[in-house]
Formats: sequence, structure tokens, C-alpha cells
Amino acid sequence: MYGGGNVFEATKFDDLQTEDPAKLAEFEARIARGEKIEPNDWMPELYRKQLIRMIEQHAHSEIIGALPEGTWITRAPGFRRKMAQMAKVQDEVGHAQLLYSAAETLGKTREQMLTDLINGKSKYSNVFNYPAYTWADSNIISWLIDAGAIVNQMANAKGSYGPYSRALERICAEEAFHLKYGHDAVVHMATGSPKQREMIQAALNRWWPPIMTFFGPSDKMSTHTETLMRWKVKMASNDECRQQFLDMYVPKIWELGLTVPDPNLKKNMETGQWEYTEPDWDEFKRVINGDGPCNAERLAVRRTAEERGAWVRRALLNPKAKYVKPLA
Amino acid sequence: MNELAIKDLLYKLADDQLILGHRNSEWTGFGPILEEDIAFSSMAQDKIGHSLAFYTLLQDLGEADPDTVAFTRNANQFHNSQLVELPNGEYDFSLIRHFLYDNAEIIRFEMLSQSSYEPIAKVATKLKGEVKYHVLHANTWIKNLGSSTEEAILRLQASLNEAIPYALGMFESSKYEQELIEAGVYAGEEAVKAEWLKRIQAVIEKTDLKLPDLNSIEPKLGGRYGEHTEHLQPLLDEMAEVFKIDPTAEW
Amino acid sequence: MLKSLDPRVTRLNLPEGEAPAIEPKPELDQFETYEAFHQKKESAAYTYVGPVHAPNEDVAFLFAKEQYSRRYACVGLWIVRTEHIQVTPYVGDQENVYDMLRMEEPGERSAEAEAYEIFHLKKRGKAHTHAGRVMATSYQEALQEARKQFGEKGLIVNVWVVKSKHVLQSAEEDKDMWTTIPDKKYREAIAYKVMDKITKYKEEHKTTASS
Repeated sequence: MYGGGNVFEATKFDDLQTEDPAKLAEFEARIARGEKIEPNDWMPELYRKQLIRMIEQHAHSEIIGALPEGTWITRAPGFRRKMAQMAKVQDEVGHAQLLYSAAETLGKTREQMLTDLINGKSKYSNVFNYPAYTWADSNIISWLIDAGAIVNQMANAKGSYGPYSRALERICAEEAFHLKYGHDAVVHMATGSPKQREMIQAALNRWWPPIMTFFGPSDKMSTHTETLMRWKVKMASNDECRQQFLDMYVPKIWELGLTVPDPNLKKNMETGQWEYTEPDWDEFKRVINGDGPCNAERLAVRRTAEERGAWVRRALLNPKAKYVKPLA
Repeated sequence: MNELAIKDLLYKLADDQLILGHRNSEWTGFGPILEEDIAFSSMAQDKIGHSLAFYTLLQDLGEADPDTVAFTRNANQFHNSQLVELPNGEYDFSLIRHFLYDNAEIIRFEMLSQSSYEPIAKVATKLKGEVKYHVLHANTWIKNLGSSTEEAILRLQASLNEAIPYALGMFESSKYEQELIEAGVYAGEEAVKAEWLKRIQAVIEKTDLKLPDLNSIEPKLGGRYGEHTEHLQPLLDEMAEVFKIDPTAEW
Repeated sequence: MLKSLDPRVTRLNLPEGEAPAIEPKPELDQFETYEAFHQKKESAAYTYVGPVHAPNEDVAFLFAKEQYSRRYACVGLWIVRTEHIQVTPYVGDQENVYDMLRMEEPGERSAEAEAYEIFHLKKRGKAHTHAGRVMATSYQEALQEARKQFGEKGLIVNVWVVKSKHVLQSAEEDKDMWTTIPDKKYREAIAYKVMDKITKYKEEHKTTASS
């Protein structure tokens, strides 16, 4: 599960002047032909850095994203939900594994990435800093956050980096289950007893503001962004993803008689664009920088899992092993 | 065939797997390495799936539907061994429990796949491959960790010592034991235990761990008759928290 | 102690408040990597699925089985330590890497010919698939043999060469570990069908998609 938003700040590598022009031309020609880049290919430093940052954040979002829904793993009602909730949360951990591996092919080890996550040096999707108060919150996450993630991931799967595309293809295939499962659970709640309906509406009210920030603020177009789009690192703008999400899911929410808690939300029939109350980007920034309801807990849990598992890893460390980054 | 005897056996099998699967699922997202986290979750799902298969057989015999049976009974109505309800502890305890439990479970499945009671034989035959993998997973970990660092060996040994009395409780005989054996349903708990002992010893011998002297250990009995530790009722309350908001609702 | 909405987290007995930073994780804290290949159905070629981190190949097998075959049909699994795979350069999608290879003299030769497994990548972004097995006394010779036997035609972007003895292969009797995968419908999208419920709700409440 992953949204965009905080990925594409400029870095000091913006200057391509230092890159070998012949190699750069060959690299760009390959992408223009629609070929993927593979780990052993020459690539500009900017490409490598941005991809590491993006794939790493995506991986962190999966492992941290397992926690809000994990909140309800022991309390899922009935066998069908119990097994599916377990499988769904498990998949998020599995996706983290796939994505950390893809990022490793670019030269950053899993150890470095986990250290940076726990020490707050690298980010994950901001929505996971919000709590899942009830079972219904977990259902809204399974449906709508995964729906948002799929919009984003389908776009990114068409990107230029081979290992990331391969991982995303698998992830999207697996998330088809998440989306249907989440929708199924929400539909059961919305068409169920008055209590269930009340629970799901309350959860939707809580989650709508974070969902609207899921894709990040509108992109500032710069040469930097243009370069990343030309290199097929950034595949769609944050606003495009948000519009696509609203187009696909608002009708599905409305048909259940649920209310989206934004009086300004409507589709402008002339422009074909959705209009909505601008999300609170100040809060978004505050939460991303650590001041959200669950930031400290999420990282503490990750840290504790790593610490309490350390003896297992120490015990099995093979002194003769050497690190070789995964091949693809 | 005495239906009460079959039901008693099915409840034991189903309750064990439900409770252990639930316990193992608590690890999801907290495991010692990502890959192991995924593996442990798969086994937890399998266990819950196995319990569902056995509760479904009970339903065919006239018991309530699996959700009602699993989510609305109290601790004193559960027939699981006390081993599976104990809290997870650290990973050493969860691994040791997994090792002790699954090495018994596979024997039950092997026996039950030959059972004279066809519905059980069918289910056991179908699901045996999954349990076989659970055993492979457990044995691989115990062999690896059990002969690694002093730290790991001490942890596993302490957990083994703690778990063994409860593990022996898995084989508490039922009041229908003789009937089940005579009817060819399976060879009974004493036979399972004897074979189990051989198998766990074969693994433990390959490590630096020591199996405590079983003759000097008092097995923790009672689980098969509804007597449980203080840990089961809170587990059940947690499991049913949402379900009980409205037990008649479709969730 | 931290009281969480997640009872599992509450049971971890974590201290309240921000945790201090951790020391950087040591190298290989997450173990070395192994590459996994799966066989989707009988007689299909083994295909690359991805890496796992593991302390040894037995554990790598357990890990790969769950990470790469829990959601998909599978009848076989191969595991190779990443270090044991020799990789040729990558060429473009419209080329054949065998045509571009400068065949070097092997540094090391075995006295007897031994088996090597050859994997081809046909298109960038796709996965390597097993092309076949050759007998040779070195990686270089294996590559030359591979070219003769299955590399002359078509587009081949990249080749992986592995000694067969370095491949941990699942055995025939392991197959029952995968037989129930297709039955686990609860993790398939197709198991979730709610149109009837939605239609019924809409009929009863006359909602429209624009209310």
C-alpha cells in the first residue's frame, strides 16, 4: 500500500552536467524505446537515488501498513474474515519483502533501510500514522487505502526500472484480493444492522481526510519533475492519481448510501474533474514529520520486533557468508 | 460408531488448531525476519483452516455452525490442550511449541487419513501435506537454532522445559479412547505419544538441546475436559470482541 | 506502559514516548540472499520469482515456499545462493546476448565435465526462465554449449549460468505441500461477490450514484 506525495523533493543530484553525455544519451534512448532498465545497466545518479528513495518508502509503507489492520487481526469476526484478515496483513509484509529486495538491487542494503526507518530518517505513507479505532476502520483501510495504492502502483508498474516493475506486477495481482475483500467487508457493514452501518460511516468520516492526502499535494512542475517523468520514474501526477481514485470509488461509496464527509465534493461535469475541499496540508506536513497520533507507536513496534528478533538472527549468522545484492 | 466419541475427537482436533492458529497469528508483523513473518502467518492460516474443516464435520453431525461454535463458547467448553492457549512469549517459546505441537499433529493426521470414519479420513488426507510442511518448518528451525549460539540454546532449552509438561497434556486420553481404537478411528493417544516421542527425540539429538526426563514430569492435564489456564478466556474474549457486538449480524 | 488499540501491541509492554535511535544494523543482520525459481505446472520451465534473505539454503527453501508460492499454483521450487549465479552483460531487447559475448578463456576448469543450468531473459523487465542443462568443465564452456544448444535463435537479453550442484531442488515427495493452494479461496479476489447485496440495498433504498 502506498501513495505518492512526499517522494519527489529535489536533491542535490539535480545537475546532470556531471554525467557522461554519451552514456546518458544511451540510457535515455533505451527508456524512450520502451525498454526497461536492469540493475547492471549504467544509470544516472539522480535516477538511482530517486528510485532507492521511492522504492524504500514504498517498502516501509508496506511493513508499517501491516500495523493499522494488524490491530484487528486477533478480533476479526467469523472464520471468513479471520482468515482473510490474516492473509491480507501477511501480504503487506510480503510486499515489503519484495520491495526491499528491489531497492537492494540499486545498492542500498535491507539493514540500512531498516535502520533508516526505525531512526525516522526515511518516511512511509502518512496514512499509517492514523489509528484504526474499530473493525470498521480496518475495513475502510482494506478497501479505500488499497484502492488508492492500486491506482498508484498500476501507474508505477509501467515505470522503467525492471526489478520494481516485476515486484509491482506481483503486488498488484495480490492486491486485487485486498480490494475485493475490503469492499466485501464494507458492503456487509453498510447493508447490515444499524449498528454496523453506524460503525462504517464513522470510520469513513475518520479516514476520509487522510485518504484525500494519500496521493500527496499537487506536484510543483519543475525541470526535475520533467526529468523524472521522461525517465519513467514518476508515472502520473499526484492530482491525476487522486482524480482517478475519486472517479472510481466515490460512486461506489455513494451507492451504499454512505456520506462522504466533504460538502464540497462533486464532479464538475464541464471539466470532468472532481472538486473538493482542499485537504489540510499543514496537518499532513506535521504528521509526516512525526507529530501524528500513531507515529511513535508504529516505529516503537517495528523497533521492538527487530530487537526481540535479534537473537534469532545472531544465532544463525554464518561467519563465512558475504553480502551479494540480489540479482533482479 | 458412537457419535459422542467422534464429536469429542473432532472438538479436540478443531479447538487445538483454532487456538494455536490464533496464537500464531499474533506474530504477524512482529516476526524476527520478514520472510519468517510470512511463513509463520501461512501456518497460522492453515491451522485456522484446519479447525474450520473439523468444525464443519461437527456441523454435519448436528452441532452449531462453525462461527457460532468458535466465537460464542466459553473456555470451559473448549477441548484444546493447555499447550496451545499459553501466551506466545518470545520467539523461542513459540517455536518450541510449534515443534512439539506439529510433530504430534502430523502423526494424528497420518493415522486419521487411514481412519475407518470416512469423513475424517478424507479431511486428514487432504490437509496432511500442509501439516507435513509445518513439521519441516519446525524441525529445520529447531535443528538450526538448537545447535547455534549459547544464547539461542539456553533460550530454547528454557522454553522446552517450560512447554514439556503442557505438551504431554496433548495426549490426555478421552473417555472414549478404547471405543475409538476398537472402531479403527485412530490408534489412540498413547500410540500418538509413543511415536511423537521418537520423532522429537530424533530431532533433538541433532542439537545441543536436552529432552527433560519425561518420567519425572507431571503432565498438565484437564484441557481435553474443559479445564484451562487463566489465559484461555481472555483469548476467547478478544477473538469474539467484534463478533459479539452482534452475533446475528453478517460481518 | 504503552496502551495500544492493538491488544498485541499492548502485550509487548513497550515504554511510552519516543524511543531513542538504534545503532545501525550490522552487515548481514538480515542474512545473505538466495534466488528462487518456481515451476507453475508440470513440464513448464522453471521461472525466476525473486530473492529471499536466509541463513542457509534449507531455511531459504522454507522462506521462498511461502513468499513465492503461497498465492500461486506451484509444483516445484529451486533455490540458488545469489553468489553462485554467473551473469552475462545485458543487451537491448532487440539483440541476442550470445552474439555480443566475447568468449573468454576460463580461469578455472574442473577435471570432469559437470552439469550447469542455463536461464534466459527474453525481454527486459520480464523474468529469467530455465532454458536447459548443459555439460561443461567451466562457466565459460557452459555458456558456449548453451549458445550451441539453445542460444542461436531469437532475442536473448541476458543469461544466468549456475552449476546444477548449487541448485537446491524440491523433491517429488514435496509436491503435496502445494496441492491445497487452489482451495484457499479466501485469499482470491474471485471469492468476494457483493453485487447481489448492493443491488438489493439500492432497490430498497433507491439510492443513485450521485446522491
